[in-house]
Amino acid sequence: MPVKVGIPRALLYYYYYPLWKTFFEGLGAQVILSSPSTKGILTDGLRFAVDEICLPVKLAFGHVLDLIGKVDYIFLPRLISIRRNEYICPKFLGLPDMVRRLAGIPPLIDVNVNRYRGDNELCQVIKEVGRLFTRNNFKIWLTCRRSLKVQKHYFRLLQLGLMPAEALAVLENRVKNEPLAAPGKITVALLGHPYNIYDPFINMNIIGRLRAMGANVITAENLQEQTVVSYAARLPKKLFWTLGQRMIGAALHYLERSDVNGMIHVAAFGCGPDSMTGELIERRARAAGMPFLNLTLDEHTGEAGIITRLEAFLDMVRWKTAGTVEVI
Amino acid sequence: MIGYLGIDVGSVSTNLVFFDDCGVIRKSIYLRTRGKPIDTVQKGLKELGANLPSGTKVRGVGTTGSGRHLTGVIVGADAVKNEITAHAVASSLLVPGVQSILEIGGQDSKIIILRNGVVSDFAMNTVCAAGTGSFLDQQAGRLGIPIEKFGELALQARSPVRIAGRCAVFAESDMIHKQQMGCSLPDILAGLCDALVRNYLNNVGKGKEILAPVVFQGGVAANAGMVRAFEKALDLKVQVPSYFDVMGAVGAALLAREAVARKGASSFKGFEVADMDYQTGSFECSGCPNLCEVVEVSENDRVIARWGDRCSKWSNAVGAKIS
Repeated sequence: MPVKVGIPRALLYYYYYPLWKTFFEGLGAQVILSSPSTKGILTDGLRFAVDEICLPVKLAFGHVLDLIGKVDYIFLPRLISIRRNEYICPKFLGLPDMVRRLAGIPPLIDVNVNRYRGDNELCQVIKEVGRLFTRNNFKIWLTCRRSLKVQKHYFRLLQLGLMPAEALAVLENRVKNEPLAAPGKITVALLGHPYNIYDPFINMNIIGRLRAMGANVITAENLQEQTVVSYAARLPKKLFWTLGQRMIGAALHYLERSDVNGMIHVAAFGCGPDSMTGELIERRARAAGMPFLNLTLDEHTGEAGIITRLEAFLDMVRWKTAGTVEVI
Repeated sequence: MIGYLGIDVGSVSTNLVFFDDCGVIRKSIYLRTRGKPIDTVQKGLKELGANLPSGTKVRGVGTTGSGRHLTGVIVGADAVKNEITAHAVASSLLVPGVQSILEIGGQDSKIIILRNGVVSDFAMNTVCAAGTGSFLDQQAGRLGIPIEKFGELALQARSPVRIAGRCAVFAESDMIHKQQMGCSLPDILAGLCDALVRNYLNNVGKGKEILAPVVFQGGVAANAGMVRAFEKALDLKVQVPSYFDVMGAVGAALLAREAVARKGASSFKGFEVADMDYQTGSFECSGCPNLCEVVEVSENDRVIARWGDRCSKWSNAVGAKIS
């Protein structure tokens, strides 16, 4: 029986799942993903996580708990930096050590991912993980190369305008890759951490709702990295967080695009960087005359509040672009 | 007479407005919801029907407020709109050129910024309801004065006391402290108004550019003490429109007029709705770990709407799907 490696459907799963999956499967392991977020998963996460951390990390706890008993290993890399001279939030860094005390937890694959000073360390890390499954270094190297290729394909799909769930469906051949229809009359840029905006449970299906209300949704992941980086460089001082940089870079880019009619920033309760990037984006959106909405997600958020705000926001955007209120 | 009906079902009050073809408001009704939205809407409809001349034709009906979906299903609404848009639409009609709308209701407060007749920004209070009507209501009750007298008394203040407005619980202990120090009642009431205004401007109004003309609406606008506190804090004239407490309903009726103009006919079920038997209930769906709480509305024992399920398997089953 193949070794089962569990991956929590949380945090940077939304960025790197294709890479991780291809790598582990290439080495003969079976990848088991935690179930999509539900009330049950969140409740478990809230119960076992420490109070001080942010909502997304609490949710990640729930996903780790969901995997307990189903897998031989849980892949939970200690993410320190995913780009040179930038950092990932320290709460990510602490996650493997926070979940380690959970009862019944299988061994963690908690290697350090630190690209702050370049990629030298990373090669060592990949080898270390690969060694758990095979002694064949060449096989590890080949699998790694193939995984990076799949990952590149995934990023390209996102840049074509797909959302992560849609891009994964294409990668896994569940749907055909067809040009994306953009039927809405207005386009809204949705900015936020990937694990907030792409998890339909925690954000109460913002993307689905916006689309159902007739708006096209675009996100930071739909942009090429180069675009995001060059726009983010316009800030007087560089932000150290990679994800925050992405949001700011995308915001500054979308503020200049005439086909973008509105901007929504999604923040998670308890997220320090969000409170900072949200404010930065809001100020610039206002100065540019872009309709802007800030949504904060927390475990108590009622659907009614989100629906009212989204509806009112789209009314405002339509009112501005078309000159009338949409009544039906 | 032909006209349009607007219904605003909020947490504290339920308002109905009927205006005729020429845009003149013929009747407005303000009722306390008291946790029974359906009964209250039925009561309001009965009262409205009795007050309008016989042969009155309702050409369209719109609903808004937190109970808009429920009410919309019951009366057969043509327009079901969020309260931000409804308030903005109503204000721009009744106060031409309005640039800032301050709205404080029973359990929510919002600010709407308009520029050139178009909403350019808005905000609503988040989880905390400090500084809304319910709190004023409660404090008036504790001090033993009727809420209607609150504003009048606050205006008599000579030097308003300083009260912390960040949190309703702390504001209350602050007030008790001031009472025990011997401050006069009007000074405390005025201090409370100042605190609420400060809280509103710092939370809801944070970062918003409030320009004249400023309109203050919602139930709390009846409180003259609050109006003065706003004028003092903003250093601007604050207008309270004559239908300040039913503006949401006015907006809903206006939106209904537009909706009917576009789609042709109204889906209004008639004033008979007031005498029908409506039942609501909820159950927890155990289809998946989301454990959605599904709400079910039935009219004369027939299920007419369901909502609350994330996957829509229940709401689709009856056809009346809500967002």
